[in-house]
Amino acid sequence: MSETSESRLSVKARLPGFLRRVDPAVLTAFGCILLLLLLGSLYSSNFLSPDYLLQQLKVASFLGVVAAGMMIVILLGHIDLSVPWVMTTGAMMACAAAGFGNAGASVAIPVGVLSGMAFGLLNGIGVAYLRIPSMIVTLASNVVAQGLMVVYTGGFSPQDSASNAIRWLATGALVPGVPNAIVVWIAVSAAMVFLLTRTAFGRAVYGIGNSERAAFLSGVGTRRVVMIAFVVSGGLSAFGGVLLAGYASKAAQAMGDAYLLPSIAAVVLGGTSILGGRGSYVGTVAGVILITLLQSILSVMQMPEAGRQIVYGIVIIVMLLLYGRAPPSR
Amino acid sequence: MTAAETPPPLFQMEGVSKRYGGVRALEKARLEVVPGRIHAILGENGAGKSTLIKIMAGVVAQDEGRLLLDGREVAFRSPAEAAAAGIACVFQELSLIPDLSVADNIALANPPRRFGMIDRRAQRKLAEEALARAGAEDIHPRAAVKDLPLSRRQMVEIAKALASGPRALILDEATSALTAGDVAKVFAVLKRLRDEGLALLYISHRMHEIAELADTCTVFRNGRNVASFAAGSRSNSEIVEMMIGREYSNVFPPRQASARLASAPVLECRDLGWSDRLREISFSVGEGEVVGLGGLEGQGQRLLLLALFGVLRGTTGSVLVDGSPVAISGPAAARKPPLSMALIPEDRKTEGLMLPMTVRENLSFAALDRIARGGVIDRTKEEQSIDDMVRLLEIKTAGLDVPVGTLSGGNQQKVVIAKWLMRQPRIILLNDPTRGIDVGTKQELYQLLRRLAEAGAAIVFYSTDYDELIGCCDRVLVLYDGRVVRELEGDAISERALIASALNVEAGQKGTAA
Repeated sequence: MSETSESRLSVKARLPGFLRRVDPAVLTAFGCILLLLLLGSLYSSNFLSPDYLLQQLKVASFLGVVAAGMMIVILLGHIDLSVPWVMTTGAMMACAAAGFGNAGASVAIPVGVLSGMAFGLLNGIGVAYLRIPSMIVTLASNVVAQGLMVVYTGGFSPQDSASNAIRWLATGALVPGVPNAIVVWIAVSAAMVFLLTRTAFGRAVYGIGNSERAAFLSGVGTRRVVMIAFVVSGGLSAFGGVLLAGYASKAAQAMGDAYLLPSIAAVVLGGTSILGGRGSYVGTVAGVILITLLQSILSVMQMPEAGRQIVYGIVIIVMLLLYGRAPPSR
Repeated sequence: MTAAETPPPLFQMEGVSKRYGGVRALEKARLEVVPGRIHAILGENGAGKSTLIKIMAGVVAQDEGRLLLDGREVAFRSPAEAAAAGIACVFQELSLIPDLSVADNIALANPPRRFGMIDRRAQRKLAEEALARAGAEDIHPRAAVKDLPLSRRQMVEIAKALASGPRALILDEATSALTAGDVAKVFAVLKRLRDEGLALLYISHRMHEIAELADTCTVFRNGRNVASFAAGSRSNSEIVEMMIGREYSNVFPPRQASARLASAPVLECRDLGWSDRLREISFSVGEGEVVGLGGLEGQGQRLLLLALFGVLRGTTGSVLVDGSPVAISGPAAARKPPLSMALIPEDRKTEGLMLPMTVRENLSFAALDRIARGGVIDRTKEEQSIDDMVRLLEIKTAGLDVPVGTLSGGNQQKVVIAKWLMRQPRIILLNDPTRGIDVGTKQELYQLLRRLAEAGAAIVFYSTDYDELIGCCDRVLVLYDGRVVRELEGDAISERALIASALNVEAGQKGTAA
C-alpha cells in the first residue's frame, strides 16, 4: 500500500494530459484488448465490423455500470459481494413496479435503483459503523436479498415484464446506431470520473483507501464516506440489473450471478489495487471491455460451455497474478 | 576481557556501535553481564538502552563491535539464536496470545512434541514448572490468558521467558504494568533467580525500584556508557547528573518576552483522565504560548494529545476552549471553528500522510471542506492555497504531482504541518514533530512554531528531545505515569530539572516547582 508509481495518481490529477502519463496497467489492458481483437479477426473477419463492436460495447455496458460501483468500494480497500442478488433485486423490483399500470411504470427505474441502495445502506452501516468485515456483511446481504426474492417470486420466474421505459433504456437508440445502454454507460462513467477526481468525496475515497487512520486524523468523516460508497455501489448494481431486465425484457432468477467475478476482475485488471487507494476509472473501463471481449471470443469459437468457464477463469487468475507480481514501480 | 570480577562474566559487549540512517544509537558501548547479579541500565530517551537490548536479544545486528558469551565471540542472527544461547527477554509490551491458554503461550516457541504432535501432558508439566519458578503457582496452566488480569499476564510473560531455561534474563520495563503488591512479588522472584545464578539485566525508569533491586548500575548517554558502579554508591542527584549532557546542536529563536500571561487561556483542561493511562491532568495554554510536554517516552503524552483532539473514547474531566466547556467528538469536530484545532500526529508515514498520493492531494486533504464548494473542489482555490503553503514552508519537491512518499523525511513533515496550517488553526497540537528529520529542517520548524505563536496560536508541543523543550517552550509540563508531576517555566526549564522530574525524583540543588 505504501509503494506506488508516479503516474497512477496523476491520471486523475491531470485528466486532460492523461495519455502522456497513463498507468502502465491501463496501457496493458488496452493492449490486451487490441490483441484479442487481432486474434479474433484472424479467426473471423466479422470481429472488426462496427456492428460486432457496437454489440460488444452494448453487452459491456451492463458490466460497466456494475463495475463502476464496485470500483469505489475496492478503492476504499473493501469489497461488495452482494452484487448478484442486489442486481436481481433491482431488476425484479423495477419489473414489479412496472406491473402497477402507468403510475407504476413511471417510477419503475427509481424503485429498482432505490431497492439496491437500501441494500447498499445495509452493507455500509455494517462495514462503517458496526465494523464488520465487508466480505462478511456483503455476502450475508447477498443471501438475504436472494431469500427475499425467492419469497417474493415463490422460486419461479416472475411474470412481470420490463416497462417500455426500461426496455428503451437498454435497447433503444437515442442516437441513431448507438444503443442507449452505451449512452447510459458513458453517462455513468462521466459521473464517476467527476466524482473521483473533482469532488472532496472522491479524494476522501482515495485517502481512506491509502490510510484510513491518516484520513480519520485529518478530520474526514471516514464512516460516512464508507457508508455512502456502499450505497452508491448498491444503487449501481441494481441499476445494472434494471438495464439487464430491459435487455432481456424481464427479470429472472439468478440473473446477476454471472456478474460478481467479472465486476471485481474488471476493476483489478484495470489497475486498481485490490488493497485500495490506487487506480483510475479509465482502467476499469478497459477492464470491462477486455472481459466482455474475452467472453465473446470464447463463445464465438464455439467452445463448449464448460471449457469456456475453465478458460475464462484461468485467464482471469493468470492476469491477476501477472498484475500482482509486477514490481512496485518507483 | 577487562574486569576482574569474582565470577567470570556470562555475556560481554565490546565496542558495539549501531547507526540508524544518520542517527547514532550506540557508540562503542561496553557491557558486562555477570551471573548472580542484577544489573540495572539507566538513561534518558534516546540514550541507547533499547538498541542495546535489541542487539543482545538478536533482534538487530550491531554495525561494529563484538559480543562474547562465556568469553567466546558469538553472532546472533535472529532472536531464536539468542534464545538458544540462553538469553531470554521480557518486553514491556506483552507478547502473549490472549485466546490461547497459559500453557500454550509458555510453550509457544518450542512445544514438547511426540510423534510430531504437541504432547499436552508434557506441555502442562513444563508450564507448571515455569510458573512455579516465576512464583506464580496460583495461575492455572489451562486458563485462557485473556481471562487473567494484566499483572498476572506479566507473570506469565516472565514464566514464558524462564521456560526456555535461560542463563541471562532481560527485563525491559517489566514492572510498568504492575501494581505495588505485584511488584514486591516480582522482586522476590527476581532476587531468588539471581541467587540461583541467573544473570539479570533490568531496565527501568523507576529510581526507587533500581535502588531496591539492583546490584550494579550502568548509565548510558548519547549511546555511550558514562559509568558503571555498584548500586547504592551514588545518590539520585549524582545519577541525574550523569544522564545530563546531551550534545546541543540546535539554535532556537528567541522566546517572546510579552505579557502573554494577561491573555485568557485558549485551551484548558481540568482533571482530564482516560482509563488509568491519563490521570487528573489540568493545565491551560494561552494565546501565543508554546507549552511543552516532557518526560520519558510512553508516560501519556501521546494519549493526552489524542484525548484533546477527541480521538479517545471515554475520557473523564473537561476540556475548555475560550473558557467554555466543549465536547469534542472526534477530529472532524475538533478541526472546525470555533475550536480550529490541528494535530500533527506521531507517525507521519501512517497517520499524517497518504504516502502513495501526490503532494498536492496530501496538502489539501484536511482543508477540502473549505476548498470545495458543494462538495466540488475549487481547483483555482486549491492551487492558490497549495502555492501559499509550499512557499511559506519552503517545501522542496520535484513537483506537486509526485507521490509524497518520494520526499525526504523533513519535507514530508513539512507537508503534514502545511496541510493543517491551511486551515489556520488556533490550537496546534504537535506530537514529536522533529523525530527523524534533518537538523536544517528542525531549525525551520522551530522558527515556524515561534512565528505561529506570535501570530496568536496556542501550541502544545510534545518532544522526546529535552533540548527542544528547553529551547522552544514557554512552559513545560512533565508527565510521569499519566500524571503531570511538574510544571517548569522560563529559566527553570533546564536539562537537570527535566530529567529529574522525568524520573520523578528530586534534583537536589536546583529542583524547581511551578
